[in-house]
Amino acid sequence: MTASAAAALAADVAAVVEAVFAEVDRLQAAAVPVLHDPSGAAAARLEEAAQALLSPGQLAVGLGLIVAPRAEDGFRLRLLWWQVDPVTGRLGALAPDLRPSSLGFYDYPSTEWFDVPRRTGRRHVVGPYVDVHGTGRYLLTLTEPVLAGGQFLGVVGADVPVGRFEGHLLRRLGPTAPPFVLVDEEGRVVLSTSPVRLVGALVQHGGDLPGPGVPVAGVPWRLHAVDDGGDLLPG
Amino acid sequence: MQVLSGDARRAVFAPLHDGALRSEAVVRRVGSAIALGLLGDGEQLPSENDLATMLNVSTVTLRDALAELRALGLVETRRGRGGGSFVRLRDAALAGLADARLAELGTADLRELGDVHGAVVAAAAGLAASRASVREVARLRDVVDRLAKEATSPGQRRADGRFYVELAACAQSVRLTMQEMDLHLELGQLPWPPAAEPRLLEVVVASHRAVVDAVEARDAVRARELAAGHVDTRTAWSVALHLRRLRGARPDAGAREPAG
Repeated sequence: MTASAAAALAADVAAVVEAVFAEVDRLQAAAVPVLHDPSGAAAARLEEAAQALLSPGQLAVGLGLIVAPRAEDGFRLRLLWWQVDPVTGRLGALAPDLRPSSLGFYDYPSTEWFDVPRRTGRRHVVGPYVDVHGTGRYLLTLTEPVLAGGQFLGVVGADVPVGRFEGHLLRRLGPTAPPFVLVDEEGRVVLSTSPVRLVGALVQHGGDLPGPGVPVAGVPWRLHAVDDGGDLLPG
Repeated sequence: MQVLSGDARRAVFAPLHDGALRSEAVVRRVGSAIALGLLGDGEQLPSENDLATMLNVSTVTLRDALAELRALGLVETRRGRGGGSFVRLRDAALAGLADARLAELGTADLRELGDVHGAVVAAAAGLAASRASVREVARLRDVVDRLAKEATSPGQRRADGRFYVELAACAQSVRLTMQEMDLHLELGQLPWPPAAEPRLLEVVVASHRAVVDAVEARDAVRARELAAGHVDTRTAWSVALHLRRLRGARPDAGAREPAG
């Protein structure tokens, strides 16, 4: 693959990611009022906004606001998240177990998608990962901090199932795209069109992959051209 | 009422596949969900019809199970407006259920459960060694540290379960994670061995630490071996407890083969 072909693929990946972040952005305006409105009217408006964004054909299957525990609120864990049920296809609120005494406790303040925007004040994409005790799905989660007056109030974000991201991107790139792997900053394979690199695996930068790859704008990913593994199925 | 979502809840309310004695299977499932904290004290259960549908049992079977749970003090039913069935946390009743289950299972049943748990744990540990991120390894360590500090048996059992579920998640596998959750709902029906022998907790903690070390060292072979080996040790503990109960229940049993 030429450098310009790799750069073109990376631009396509960046465009897909930006489209999801654009949806997340649209939740920002509805998110802040929720934190100062005990009546529930602001939460209802956020729900409306989230549900409108979860229309069929969208990449995201879940969207919402995850609230930072605050002293004045007794460090309450609170999550206003809506998702398309993978079995029924119906839209509904996600209600994970938020009691620390449970084996199934969804300890979201310690998750990467919450903690990184809190620490850095910047948007983040995490995955592929198993969203254990939350949706239970294999996901990419895209989050950005909700800030007011410099204070971190929580994150807004979107869940994109790994399989859906892969299918969408491969359709967009078409059948003639040369084989490549998309790798995150830890070396995790986010997407691969080579049978010798599997999604979710860790690769060593420099060691496992030839060359430095090309960066994907806006996310800490790199795209590497690879061998197509064609000799796996000789004949 | 809203039923919580998430993998754990899915496992609690998943259809029961046991053939015979289904009301007892419902009692055991609910009992272990309470023991693992998946159903909290005071929490309202779904309506009888919804619960019967979710668990794939008849309403007659479900009513029998609820009657048994009420007799054990693990469920309280209130009639009328705002009524329904509510969970009651009773440690003594849960311990009694676990003892009864341990006594009724044979050593082959205990070995089978350990075999399948060992297979899942070995697969998860091996994959985690090649797939877990630095951050995930740190998280596993944190779970083990919490387990080491847990003073109560229910707390230890939940932290131990979290370790195994997180390990499966580190393998990047939804299926292994779900398997681990399902297995814990079964394992949660049996006594927690360190409850009988507190020193065993140190063995559990040391084994988990060694597995995390192997995962961090990217040594998949060692991670598999250590994880599977520890599950075998636990199976031996359960069998030993089972045999001890049998002897304790019948003082003259030492001279004879236990009845099958």
